Amino acid sequence: MNRTALVGLCAITLSAFATLAQAETIRIANHGQAGINAMKSTVARIEKKYGITVEVVEYPSPDKDYMTKLLTELGAGNAPDIFSAPTTAYVADMVAAGYLAPIGAEFKAWDGYANFYDVAKQLAVSPDGETYVMPFMLGIQEIYFRRDVLDKAGISTEQPKDWADLLARAAEIKEKTGAYGLLFPAGVSWGTGAFDEGFQHLLVGSKTPQLATEDGKLDLTGEGVKDVFGVYKELIDKDLMPTQPLLGPEPWVIPKYQMFPEGKLAATTCGSWCYIFDWGRESKNPIPDVEKVVGTWTIPGQTGGQYVLANLAAPWGVNAKAENLELAKKVLMEIGSVETQVSYAVQIGNIPASKAAAQDPEFQKLTELVPIHAAAENGVYLKQAAGFATVAEGVARATEALLRKETDAAGAQQILVDYAREILGEEAVK
Amino acid sequence: MVRSTYEKRVARQLLLILSPSLLLLLAFVIYPAVYSVYLSFTNEALTGAAALNPRFVGLRNYSRLLHDAKFWNSLFVTFVFVVGSAIIGQFVLGLISAIMLRRDLAFKQLFSSIILLPNAAPEVVAGFMWISMLAGGENATLSRIVMFFGMTPTDWLQTFPLTMIIVVNTWRGIATAMILLTAGLSTIPSEVYEAARMDGANPSQIFRRITLPLMMPTILLYMLISAVSTIAVFGLVYALTRGGPGGATEVISIYIYNQSFTAFQLGYGAAVAVVALVISLILGIAYVRAMKVQV
Repeated sequence: MNRTALVGLCAITLSAFATLAQAETIRIANHGQAGINAMKSTVARIEKKYGITVEVVEYPSPDKDYMTKLLTELGAGNAPDIFSAPTTAYVADMVAAGYLAPIGAEFKAWDGYANFYDVAKQLAVSPDGETYVMPFMLGIQEIYFRRDVLDKAGISTEQPKDWADLLARAAEIKEKTGAYGLLFPAGVSWGTGAFDEGFQHLLVGSKTPQLATEDGKLDLTGEGVKDVFGVYKELIDKDLMPTQPLLGPEPWVIPKYQMFPEGKLAATTCGSWCYIFDWGRESKNPIPDVEKVVGTWTIPGQTGGQYVLANLAAPWGVNAKAENLELAKKVLMEIGSVETQVSYAVQIGNIPASKAAAQDPEFQKLTELVPIHAAAENGVYLKQAAGFATVAEGVARATEALLRKETDAAGAQQILVDYAREILGEEAVK
Repeated sequence: MVRSTYEKRVARQLLLILSPSLLLLLAFVIYPAVYSVYLSFTNEALTGAAALNPRFVGLRNYSRLLHDAKFWNSLFVTFVFVVGSAIIGQFVLGLISAIMLRRDLAFKQLFSSIILLPNAAPEVVAGFMWISMLAGGENATLSRIVMFFGMTPTDWLQTFPLTMIIVVNTWRGIATAMILLTAGLSTIPSEVYEAARMDGANPSQIFRRITLPLMMPTILLYMLISAVSTIAVFGLVYALTRGGPGGATEVISIYIYNQSFTAFQLGYGAAVAVVALVISLILGIAYVRAMKVQV
């Protein structure tokens, strides 16, 4: 009897130790080999500093599939302790769903906070005024154009002054070279890219540059929204933009990785990573002398001005249901370090949100990214509101209708408004 | 009295034997179906405020369905897909294969193995294999074939998306059709054919007057299984086109997935799923009645 009791006691003790050991494991969701590689040294550093185990859980790579799996697990209450959202657009909705733990106090008390660009700090603040994500990387998009193609045809490579000038340039490219003049991502297959990589960049330079109102609602009826759809409409109707590939399952492949390198598409929006990964040294289909051959324009405003729109790239947050919230938040601050930011810049080509990265020798080697990093000082941003993920999907549907020539700019705006109202309810949309 | 006790004991034993299956059915079929019906009356979502506090919305999801052009498009695409691949493609080719395999053909074993091969490849793997054959450019298999005949190659999944997924699903389903229809053919006694031939019936008459009528229960059973399983096809279409281009191949299973896991609207996705379930049930009842079989 005593022996049985002893064995039972040992089993209970072992089980308790096992539970304790498990509590000291932090699970991190990561997706894409580049992202996992970028985190390797950070993971090792965290394990050494806190004496814990960091388990990196690999998720599906495409953003849509990643979010589907992550949100399903968050809904079921068994998601990892720390995870990222692909873009800013998802954050407000994840906050509204109660998935993210507030980190404002820890973030502001952290010694790295002061070095962050203001635009990054502001983007991280949710509509309720609290911060829920570590805004460690910025996604900055510009228009990349084939300087060689334009020069050869005698077309100006000067920064376009306004939308009319940009559209006229696209028309001139088509007329003189036969190549498509300009691509803005569009359609349902491109996912949130239709909003993140196209629509919002034009919107910030429009007559109504914000979608979130003071009372936290979404105003999608602004004149600027219709005007932005008007730009898409003109590009599509005048055949200045390739439309057929955008209706396929991987719409970016043909325009960005085939047509642009071949000079059959002369200008496209793209992120800071494009010089390195899409057409540069890490590309499977590189453009020789890419930095000379491919130039960049910032996105002009509707009636003038230039806009450097910053977006959060893979902002990290802590699961509100994490077993050890305090520890998870400490780990999150390590992820926000300059070392990790530079590692991400090297592996993925996004822009570090900390000004201190400019002094990092490794980052200085990324000559393509240094000027873009400096430009983030003047970055502008869209104020966030719950429902942005729905707006992104609505923009995708509206631009798809434009691609299929089923509607005009006003009709596309109506598709967006109707979709947002259907999903979010009348009360959320002005 | 003794007999009654015996019957009770047998009934208890039967219940005991059936209970694991009943429990599994309850847990993995009945409960999810009932829960889907419940979800369809809520605004449950995977993200946003509705994920935290879902609320009852009555028939709002169903009323939204009625005005949703994409839903009606998905129903139409599903109808064409089912008729094209299950009713016409798989059935006709399956029947031809079954009839051919009854004869003494050279390489009969090889022929039947080739027909069974599509079922050996997992759905998604088969999808990617077909993508490489139907892709745009001059290197894709189908483009090479048409170029050999002097025709212009194209991106087949872009130009003829619905036709292509019908072809691929037909390819994948022939084996099942062939196996079922072979079983049906084998139930027809050879004496019936011999008698018909002695009466001077030609092959066409034999097929129309003997083979088809005697196989009708098998054919209807096959149609039921094939139509319902084709409505549920997901992986193959998702791998091939993801419902594109522009919704041209957005069958109802893809539409349910897109609503539930791309737009994250579980409530609305559940409403579409309930409609798909009702359609499958109606089809099932119609076939069962046509077969005049008691179920």
